[in-house]
Amino acid sequence: MIPRDRCAYSAIVDRPPLFLPNRARIVVWTIVNLEFWDISRPMARQVLPAPTGQVLLPDVPNWAWHEYGMRVGVWRFFELFARLAIRPTLSINARVCEEYERVARAAREAGWEFMGHAWEQMPIHKVEDQFAMINQSLGVLERFAGRRPVGWLGPGLTETEDTPDLLAAAGVKYIGDWVYDDEPTEIRTAHGPLITLPYTVELNDIPMMLVQHHESAYFTQRCIDSFERLYTEGAERAKIMAIAIHPYISGQPHRIKYLETIYEHVNRYAGVLHWNGAEILDWFMAARGNR
Amino acid sequence: MLPTERLDFSAIAHRPKLTLPDGARLAVWVIVNVEEWDPAQPMPRTVLTPPAGGAPMPDIPNWAWHEYGNRVGFWRMLEVIDEHGVRAVLAVNGSAIGRYEPIARAALERGWEFIGHGFTQKNMQNVADERDDIRKTTAAICDFAGKNPRGWLGPGLTETWETPDLLVDEGYEYVCDWVLDDEPVLLKTRTKPIVSIPYTQECNDVAMMLIQHHKAGEYYDRAIDQFEQLYRDAARSTRIMALVVHPYIMGAPHRLKYFRAALAHIRAYRDVLFWTGEEILDWFKGREA
Repeated sequence: MIPRDRCAYSAIVDRPPLFLPNRARIVVWTIVNLEFWDISRPMARQVLPAPTGQVLLPDVPNWAWHEYGMRVGVWRFFELFARLAIRPTLSINARVCEEYERVARAAREAGWEFMGHAWEQMPIHKVEDQFAMINQSLGVLERFAGRRPVGWLGPGLTETEDTPDLLAAAGVKYIGDWVYDDEPTEIRTAHGPLITLPYTVELNDIPMMLVQHHESAYFTQRCIDSFERLYTEGAERAKIMAIAIHPYISGQPHRIKYLETIYEHVNRYAGVLHWNGAEILDWFMAARGNR
Repeated sequence: MLPTERLDFSAIAHRPKLTLPDGARLAVWVIVNVEEWDPAQPMPRTVLTPPAGGAPMPDIPNWAWHEYGNRVGFWRMLEVIDEHGVRAVLAVNGSAIGRYEPIARAALERGWEFIGHGFTQKNMQNVADERDDIRKTTAAICDFAGKNPRGWLGPGLTETWETPDLLVDEGYEYVCDWVLDDEPVLLKTRTKPIVSIPYTQECNDVAMMLIQHHKAGEYYDRAIDQFEQLYRDAARSTRIMALVVHPYIMGAPHRLKYFRAALAHIRAYRDVLFWTGEEILDWFKGREA
């Protein structure tokens, strides 16, 4: 199904507003992405292309650069979110539960929400049996975390035309791939409705640091600029602001303080909720009935 | 026809003086581009590449990122344009008028000018039948807005060798693809000339944010620097300044305030006109008479 068959165009100004409990204005949804990069294949991202730009295998320097996030960077995230008492959503390649059990365990112990993020980090178009991969991934996460994930994010947000159908058939309730609104929406699938939550490619360290090559400090600026605009709009209708981070990027020593500064800033405001995806989903399912 | 056959070289310093009415010094026009991206085709621009590169299809994340502009971004951009009492120009894909009818209606209600921007967001060199594409775009605008568009902007400013000829045949009076001057100029065609009005790749959020990857604040800084120099240049002869925005770029929550600040800065000048393309066209044609 093409996107148009799943959901018609809708202008936000034509929809009745949604409201958050206790007159809160905005939900900050933090998503930590954990991935498995297979050293036998080209790396998902590169900080340093080989001299002359050739893609050569194995790509040890870029594998190691990503690995730093799992060995070191992610522990800066755990420290930060424990201090703030925030329980983010963990977007996790299921294979991470096996290859980096220590990291996945720390997230489970900290009460983070586990969200499906495929088996390993490659475009979903290249997966031979997508339905089997989805079920395998959700099964591994269910056994590991004790609860079947309700959310899913494609690797690099990728989908084929039937991905939402397969996800709904596997019991997924919400997806983050459709970054097309400030509010959750409902889309059609062959197996009943699926909810989209406003994940982000704007406040996301991959596009900002690895594609657009911004300076580290710009992450703070862009998040605060977004927050202030959405907070203003939140007086009229509920707003959700996602922040998407990766340990090998934002967990670097030179970047972590710019992440910390964002939370220091937004936590000065009243009416700011830190929710994970499952909490946003539960609120939306109830709140939309009231609008 | 080659570009050099359509117009002769001319140095701006050696032309007769152009003047605006009522002692105004500069005319600024604001162009809002509204497009429809076909999810079955590669996306015209991307914010996120897939893991390990390549271009697998369909490209849902980048389709959704653009769609955000029409569902949400346009509406906050509209608030800023209304706040400053500006009548903008809607450069619109013909197919987008039906698809995003609330956007077209908001523009029509405010008396914005509609200009053709291709039937879909596809390079003109790749359009199978260019004349048919232009005609369908004209018809979509005329059916909705009640009059034919007078101006045209190619998708991504693209043209074939004969685009200006076809545009004149189909009733267009001005084109925006030739960013080669600060003043309107005439381009020869097989029949009568068409006016080229100064559009911009410089104060344009696609080039600045998606290709050059500047911080959002650079939109403001560059607009002001551009404006101040053109304002100074215009002491001798009028200049035209264009400001170009796309809802999926400057309509993102973190970028909007820089667009607002740029408009507010320029709006504070009493001797600067905010005109539509057709107002610039009519003034330029009147000057010739």
